[in-house]
Amino acid sequence: MITWMQQHPMTIIGLVLWAIGILWLMPGRKASKPRPHMIGVLIVAAGLVSFCLSSGKAQSELADDVMFWVFAIGALMSGVLMITARNPVYAALWFALATLSTCGLFLLQHAPFLAAATIIVYAGAVIVTFLFVIMLAQQSGAAGYDQRSTQSLLATISAFVLLGAISLTLQSEKIEIARPIVVAAADSADEPSATADSKSLSLTRPGRPAQIVPVLPGNVMSKADAKHPVGNLKGLGKSLFGDYLFAVELAGTLLLVASIGAIAIAPRREQGAI
Amino acid sequence: MTPEEQRFLLVGAGLFVLGAIGFITRRNLILMVLSAELMLHGVSLTLVTFGRMHQTNEGQAFTIFTLTVAACEAGLALSLVLSLYRKSHSLDIQLWSELRESDMSGPDFDSSGERGKLSSYDDIPTLTPAGIAPQNPPRTSGSASVTTSNRT
Repeated sequence: MITWMQQHPMTIIGLVLWAIGILWLMPGRKASKPRPHMIGVLIVAAGLVSFCLSSGKAQSELADDVMFWVFAIGALMSGVLMITARNPVYAALWFALATLSTCGLFLLQHAPFLAAATIIVYAGAVIVTFLFVIMLAQQSGAAGYDQRSTQSLLATISAFVLLGAISLTLQSEKIEIARPIVVAAADSADEPSATADSKSLSLTRPGRPAQIVPVLPGNVMSKADAKHPVGNLKGLGKSLFGDYLFAVELAGTLLLVASIGAIAIAPRREQGAI
Repeated sequence: MTPEEQRFLLVGAGLFVLGAIGFITRRNLILMVLSAELMLHGVSLTLVTFGRMHQTNEGQAFTIFTLTVAACEAGLALSLVLSLYRKSHSLDIQLWSELRESDMSGPDFDSSGERGKLSSYDDIPTLTPAGIAPQNPPRTSGSASVTTSNRT
């Protein structure tokens, strides 16, 4: 751990600056006048830049790099401003911005369907209902409990110790992943001896030659191949309705139960106005 | 692990930790639920990155289930918040700290007598306080006749 701290001073500096910025922006235990906002924002931004810089240089295109930077710093900065906002309406709007930035990161990770679904569910449904409840409940302006927080110093320090531990684990070079080799499409299926050294599964389809697919732990229908790369909508549908069909049915039941429960819990009209 | 995957995982961990800080420190019920959603975003990003590392669609399938559960959670949490608000007329979480175990010590209320009381912002414009109402407001005869005519 000491060697890791010596090798990655940028990470340590970034984490410390980030935590100091959050503590600067966070409302204290007593309701007090807000500290100057811009200083805290600058401290957090400096911490975020050095934290993201410490993750190493990736071999990627310049456009990918720029988009990653915009979306990552946008997501993390909006998160910081959300948890430190003194007005809950602003907090909900910062959360919407964090959601949009996360969807941009999903797009960079080849998950276009997921990005669209997240935007529809969160920005379309969740944020609107949250804003509705905030405006229903706080019609009389800012409330006292938004001006203070509980245990902010202890919570920030312990959370950033957790983040430092995660960074240490991620940046250690002992992690090895069994990377699957995506078999090239049906052209190379005629010569199965190239990949037949390991234990392999032959899928025989009518009218087509036997195709050799290397077996890795995991579900077969969720694998990406050359025709259907990761994030392909057809591959995702095969995974959802092939391997996880029962889970899809369970999720539908969960939605039904949750909607019944929400209607049952919510206050009735004859019980008086909100 | 390539640096590109590593940086996506770091951003996911950062989102998770930010949500955890918000969940612990904020006292507004709705902000606590929103912070939990921020933690779910971090987990979703991590799952998608893991799926891409292993070249499967399972990460994205898991994330769709996470999205479903998050939608259910938001609906249930909002109806719970509404019924709690009906009882206490406040979104303060500390008003419900008496639900704790009887042998646990409660949170320290930093100021007494502020339960549910609204305190004004510095930024929000307020009216100047009114002075003492005058005892006998001077009336002209015209306005007095108008008021008497209104009464009849």
